[in-house]
Amino acid sequence: MSIAIETRGLTKRFGGLVALDGVDLQAAAGETLGIIGVNGAGKTTLMNCICGLYRPDGGDVFISGERVTGQPPHVVAHKGIGRTFQVPRVFRKMSLIDNLLVPVLDHRASDAELTERAEGMLARMQLIDLRHNYAEELSGGQQKLLEMARMLMPDPPIVMLDEPFAGVHPVLCKFMIERIEEMSGAGKAVLLISHDLTSIYRLSTRVVALNQGKVIAEGGVDDIRGNPAVIEAYLGT
Amino acid sequence: MMPVSSRPQDSADRIYFTLVALIGGALMIYFALVPVFGLNVAFHFYLMLWITMASAFNVSSGFSGYLPFGYVAFYGIGAFTTAILVKKAAFPVFLALPFSGVAGLVLALLFAPTLRLSGIYFGIVSLALAGICRLVITNMPEEITGGSFGLQLGSRAHPVQSFYVMMAVMVVALATILWLSRSRLGKALRATRDDADAAEMMGINVPRVRLYGWMIAAFFPAVCGGVEAWYTNVVDTETAFNTLITAKTVIYAVAGGLGTVTGPIIGAVAMVWLDELIWRQFPLLNLLILGVATVALVLFLPRGIVGSILRRKPQWRRYVP
Repeated sequence: MSIAIETRGLTKRFGGLVALDGVDLQAAAGETLGIIGVNGAGKTTLMNCICGLYRPDGGDVFISGERVTGQPPHVVAHKGIGRTFQVPRVFRKMSLIDNLLVPVLDHRASDAELTERAEGMLARMQLIDLRHNYAEELSGGQQKLLEMARMLMPDPPIVMLDEPFAGVHPVLCKFMIERIEEMSGAGKAVLLISHDLTSIYRLSTRVVALNQGKVIAEGGVDDIRGNPAVIEAYLGT
Repeated sequence: MMPVSSRPQDSADRIYFTLVALIGGALMIYFALVPVFGLNVAFHFYLMLWITMASAFNVSSGFSGYLPFGYVAFYGIGAFTTAILVKKAAFPVFLALPFSGVAGLVLALLFAPTLRLSGIYFGIVSLALAGICRLVITNMPEEITGGSFGLQLGSRAHPVQSFYVMMAVMVVALATILWLSRSRLGKALRATRDDADAAEMMGINVPRVRLYGWMIAAFFPAVCGGVEAWYTNVVDTETAFNTLITAKTVIYAVAGGLGTVTGPIIGAVAMVWLDELIWRQFPLLNLLILGVATVALVLFLPRGIVGSILRRKPQWRRYVP
């Protein structure tokens, strides 16, 4: 399988705090890479460095073999990367339809075609009846679904999901898990951050464990489950 | 899924454009007939000016999320550009007016680095820059800007012609903003307003989009300044850079509701009319009563007239520009 996304020695510092310390990882098309770690381990910082929101202090990011380190986020996005956020960052005063159109504004398809695609995506996420509402009028769980739909609109080959199950009802959680399985089934490389280890273990092909900005373990689900370093980082024993 | 041509969105679009054509057409006919039927030309001239100013301000504030407290800078620079070109370079007024718009665009480009700021910081810097513009023009040689007496355009004043030019400027401004509200640029601007980082990670070139919005917001007040200079026949720094111009623009736009096309129009119509009514009835307490009315409006309708209606009737958003 071809490598969709790769980081080599990725380092990010905030003053004296080393948030990422030489992180190497790679994910192939169709693979779901779970990223776990306690609060402050550097998971979200890793995503922010990959998508260009933070400029790394060292190391490189490659998307489909192309180096994108230090490129502005809108350029990185056009390389085929989509993401969601730990706390939903929907466009609050825009309708659901318009939220979905934002990532495809520079596409050549007509407005009618894009709107039709957006409506199809909202129907898939069971949000179609609310399509003319403002995003701020949705519940937290619905905003997570909206973000997921928005991320999928340009059909990016790489998706990054930051805590998609945080604060989500179990029924909705199950629905989201099915959507994530569809993504990897469709050949997308999925980077999944979650504190919910059950979901991570169910969805991931491989898992990377971070602690204090470093990769402390990497491997299959069974390898990570029994890894002493991971157990110590999580349980402190 | 239904074919593209028969989706409910299309019928919503038909209603939207029919409403725009009917209401816009009726307003144009009304304004066009004002001088013909001898109605109050001055009142309607300033009504159109404030509709244009509030609508253009809406591009900066309602669409892009910037609150330029120094918005009057564009108006003032436009007024002086027209006055200087007409008085000192003997330009015909019709030729000078587009240069006012260009001056507004140049000033917008000079101010563009401030777009890195946001919120109150942007507002304060914008206010300071407007003050600097005023100082620069005040301190320019008297032969150019007329010093404390300002510039008088002499025999070029033509109230009816300038009325119709103001009407044309308003129509172009509203058409531009109507287009913007439905365009991809408009969606990009609103996304940037709501969350610039998220918008950038969705592929939007945020600095470029903000600059486009900023330039649209700067062009029309500059032209308004030029037309008003022609209408009143006199320009001086006291009036052309008066902060009350920014204040009125902000109040009218906020009263109607930022972020919609109709909001600033309705806000300007309601507040200019109210201002006129209070001024006629209570000339001594005019500003006090107007201030109380403005406070009441903000307290009871914090999203403005149109914004509050659409808040209660979200299904109308599809039909109301």
